[in-house]
Amino acid sequence: MTLLEIKNLHARIGDTEILHGIDLTINRGEVHAIMGPNGSGKSTLSYVLSGRDGYEVTEGDILLDGKSVLEMEADERARAGMFLAFQYPVELPGVSGMAFLRAAVNARRREVGEDEVDHLEFVKLVRAQADQLGIGSEMLKRAVNVGFSGGEKKRYEILQMALLKPALSILDETDSGLDVDALKIVSDGVNAQRGGSCGMLVITHYQRLLSHIVPDFVHILAQGRIVKSGDKQLALEVEENGYAGLVDAA
Amino acid sequence: MRGWSMQHDMADSPLNWADRQRDAQHYLDSRGWPDRRDEAWKFTSLRHLADKDFTVGSPGADITTAPAGTPAPGLDGLVIGINAGIFNADNLPSLPKGVTVRDISNDDRARAELFIQPSGGHLLTALSAVRQTSALVIEIADGVQLDQPLILHFTGGEETVSSYPFIALQIGAGGWAAIAEIHQSSAGLSCPLLAIDIGDQAQLDHIRIQDEARHTTHLGLNHIRIGEQAVVNSFALSCGGCLSRLETHSLFDGTKGDLAQSAIYLGHNSQHHDITSFVAHESANCTSRQLIRGVLDDKARGVFQGKVRVAPDAQKTDGQQMSRALLLSSDAEADAKPELEIFADDVVCSHGATIGELDDSQLFYLCSRGLTVEQAREMLIEAFLLDALGEIARPDFAACLTEAVSRWTAALYNRQVTAAGE
Repeated sequence: MTLLEIKNLHARIGDTEILHGIDLTINRGEVHAIMGPNGSGKSTLSYVLSGRDGYEVTEGDILLDGKSVLEMEADERARAGMFLAFQYPVELPGVSGMAFLRAAVNARRREVGEDEVDHLEFVKLVRAQADQLGIGSEMLKRAVNVGFSGGEKKRYEILQMALLKPALSILDETDSGLDVDALKIVSDGVNAQRGGSCGMLVITHYQRLLSHIVPDFVHILAQGRIVKSGDKQLALEVEENGYAGLVDAA
Repeated sequence: MRGWSMQHDMADSPLNWADRQRDAQHYLDSRGWPDRRDEAWKFTSLRHLADKDFTVGSPGADITTAPAGTPAPGLDGLVIGINAGIFNADNLPSLPKGVTVRDISNDDRARAELFIQPSGGHLLTALSAVRQTSALVIEIADGVQLDQPLILHFTGGEETVSSYPFIALQIGAGGWAAIAEIHQSSAGLSCPLLAIDIGDQAQLDHIRIQDEARHTTHLGLNHIRIGEQAVVNSFALSCGGCLSRLETHSLFDGTKGDLAQSAIYLGHNSQHHDITSFVAHESANCTSRQLIRGVLDDKARGVFQGKVRVAPDAQKTDGQQMSRALLLSSDAEADAKPELEIFADDVVCSHGATIGELDDSQLFYLCSRGLTVEQAREMLIEAFLLDALGEIARPDFAACLTEAVSRWTAALYNRQVTAAGE
């Protein structure tokens, strides 16, 4: 069953068109990877999907569960089940981590008609998930992302993903800044959530993440277009030969 | 306040009250209301007062009953009510041992003795001398430690009335008191003057909430003398009135004193909030720490003027000052004038001021987690104010101010929702 459908998507920042017609369909349960060189439009795609201000869609459509999200603000898309794991998670000095996580979870719960979670129950829920990601209680007490190492920030993104249970997760360069051990912890966290009715879009520059989070489909993005699609073998080819041949074909 | 030269005349001054009043009247007559040409008032002009013809609050003019109920949610203490600038001893609660409250409104000798003013004069001390509506002395005897806070509750008045209460607060050596100034009057002009004297090794926890009526111009001046090894933890919140200035002069008059003096101002519509502070390090080994946070919406304007002066003998001074303003609207405006004047060579002093807007990437991060933009803004504004609120030592004072700030940010959120729905 189709979860996300991107149809002939053109988008620009200011006067510069970055995406020149992207088509991509993700069915429930599938993990898709988008690979591409720097400047190919990978991060732009993630921001356009999640509804960031300043990224304007000029043509085409984005459908989540068959409904266009183009008229929806970022928060509405999030509550509808979209989640972006940031390449550079943002520090929020003074914002309590637990208050933030709870506000986010309750926003999503209200949307799907569930009761808001009470404080004690929520603490238990967070602790259980945090343990699996190697996030200690000290880190949970801090302000959101403040004083976190690169690896801690990425684990915190995956913690949010686990708590929010999104229908569609977009992971933007989740591997950047991670050492081998952190990469394994983060990948295990993501793999624990794959399958079932949710879908994932894993955006990465390097193949190494994809040996941990093995995708069902791989797409190569170059100069704002998908120039080639295939299975996980395609990622290995890129690792072997680089993007040069693929980009030239674009 | 010529050039901030702030050696205060203290109680040993030879002038009697009539001389004081004559000098003060001369000061007012020769200068009029200050405007931007006056350096001390360059960001806060008082020209609008020139057209007003206020009745000075007087007994019988507008003195009703004692203020009812608690002045602020969660705050419990001994309430001393000042109504339209008038103190009425009949409404005084029974006071604990070691605490006395004296009405000196008709005692010119006491008034002259307790009077304070910066050298060269000052608008607000001159106004107080000429128009004083009430004068009282609150004394806390040496070594007395008060559990319950004293709440100075300023209420009453109407748009045509002006009020000039004077309060001398004296904490004896080794004493400990908590004072809450709650300004909720509805006078057209409210000019409280406080002379706070903190004895050696004494401690004061202090909050000052300016939550006056929307037509009120509030010009408050506090002078704090800090004795040897005395500790002051003071926090001001300015959120009411149409124009306000909370001015504070703090003087270290003994070694090893410690002053934490923070403030938050919250402005909307066309409100104008001015936080002006002068810290005089006259003694060695003293510490002052100031955190100022302002949030301004609509066409509101915020001003912070902070001067720290370190005298030649005040070695080992540690003076820190940081002000940050957050503008929520393109029509809002903030001005900051931090100044350091250091005459000693072995000191650690720093100051800084920033003015900015809510960060787009922070807002997007919160919205991408499903929070509405209003929720996201509220969360970021509260977080911005939180580190200043964290400076408040007493839990009841902290709770009272946190509640006031939350109420303001929630109202901001409601206004936005209403505006969006229109």
